[in-house]
Amino acid sequence: MHRGLILGLTVRVAIMEGGSSADVYKAVDLPLKVAQSAAFLEIVHSALGIVRSPLFITTTQVFSRLWILWGIVVPVLQPCLAGSVGIPGTPPLAHLGFTTLMLAWASSEVIRYSFFGLKELGAVPYVSMWLRYSGFIVLYPVGVASELTMVWLAMPTISKTRMWSIHMPNAANFAVDYTIVCWIVVLLYLPGLPKLYMYMLTQRGKVLAGDAKSKQQ
Amino acid sequence: MAPFKLAIQSRSGRVIASLDVSGDEAVMEVKKRLHATGKVPHPCRQRLTLLPPPGEKRGRVLDDDKPLSEYGLADGSAILFKDLGPQIGYATVFFWEYFGPMVVYPLFLLFPQIFYPWNKAPVQHSLVQQVACAYWVFHYAKRIAETYLVHRFGHATMPIFNLFKNCSYYWGFAAFVSYFANHPLYSPPADLQWKLAFALAMACQISNFYCHIILANLRAPGDKGYKIPRGFLFNYITCANYSAEIWGWALFAIGTQCLPALLFMLAGAGQMAIWAAAKHARLRKIFDGKDGREKYPRRWIMLPPFF
Repeated sequence: MHRGLILGLTVRVAIMEGGSSADVYKAVDLPLKVAQSAAFLEIVHSALGIVRSPLFITTTQVFSRLWILWGIVVPVLQPCLAGSVGIPGTPPLAHLGFTTLMLAWASSEVIRYSFFGLKELGAVPYVSMWLRYSGFIVLYPVGVASELTMVWLAMPTISKTRMWSIHMPNAANFAVDYTIVCWIVVLLYLPGLPKLYMYMLTQRGKVLAGDAKSKQQ
Repeated sequence: MAPFKLAIQSRSGRVIASLDVSGDEAVMEVKKRLHATGKVPHPCRQRLTLLPPPGEKRGRVLDDDKPLSEYGLADGSAILFKDLGPQIGYATVFFWEYFGPMVVYPLFLLFPQIFYPWNKAPVQHSLVQQVACAYWVFHYAKRIAETYLVHRFGHATMPIFNLFKNCSYYWGFAAFVSYFANHPLYSPPADLQWKLAFALAMACQISNFYCHIILANLRAPGDKGYKIPRGFLFNYITCANYSAEIWGWALFAIGTQCLPALLFMLAGAGQMAIWAAAKHARLRKIFDGKDGREKYPRRWIMLPPFF
């Protein structure tokens, strides 16, 4: 529901009211943070078996979004996106990337949750099911491209400020470099996206074919 | 004993083979004959079980050394076959998973110019770092020696995937600990701290070795039954060998004052806790004090006073 709000806000502010990208950011800021953070409940539901999604896939999806939001956008890009500080040379790409990110995230969530909601009520119109199992074909690549763009834009600041890092020498003889952590997560996207994509494609084959069969009968 | 027909089927119910067997034939013989039909892989990949009793998921596993008569099989009986997948010898896996850390750890000490290329100044390692390296190498050399000279394995093989899984764990942690313990910016702890810690850690290694000797001597060669371990720390703790191992690594972490070493100890302790709980439960189940069997004495599982 929150996601629908975000989608609606984005569309309204960006297109209908002709607002600047900074206005879009300010409008979606709080609902976005609340909605995405609540998404960790999806992991809990999957773990408890309340929902039938596989735990590993759900965890991967939720963690990547939470990391992009709280690990990249909010700490690094927020000043630029809210229009208060510019990152030299990047603002147009940052705003475009953020807008596509919002559209991708919000659209896929609206499709997913309306499908789940209707399923609970027992009445899923074909449109809803078709969207849920076809939307990802465009939304996954757009979403991942937007997420990686956000990371790419944030990297110079992350490595320059050495944020969220522990350095040696110290008493625990241990070090963590957030730049390297970001690189590792980005590298995990490489096998991660094909896996998720193929999973959804096979689900699509099963569900849409199964529906066609039952309609024939 | 009169020969009878035995059907061997897969879990889906498909009959794989039908053999004429006799009651005094050992299960291993049946496995060899199945392999000879060409339809079934090598005996060490075969798991043969009785059909599951109603309401249960798995039937009783047939022991290689026992005769078929043990299992009450008669003419027309069926048993189930499961392919365990490609197998590899236990000793082979142990060797590679211990050889890696033994070789990988010293690399960071010996070749800082490769592993810390951004560090241009010549690296001077403190005495504790050299002692830690010697301790680490000795530990894994000891484990390899025990694999070939002390341990008696309950099973001959394990799935080959375990080789990659176990080596990733051991080799990965060796690199992780060594990278920080031999780092150019490493800060050694106080002299008394590391000398005392490593002295006690060596005592733990010796205790652990003695525990392994006791365990190896529990069974006579060929004897497959479970025995109650006794003597030394086993009088108080079921898995005293794990206890000594964990304390040893805790002391290594204190001696090096290195967080990655602590994480390594916690990871190992977690896995050993799972194994220890299972072993403790198994021994208590077998030695229940009935039918002339001993009752398993009250003991800690692995880490007194809590566990």
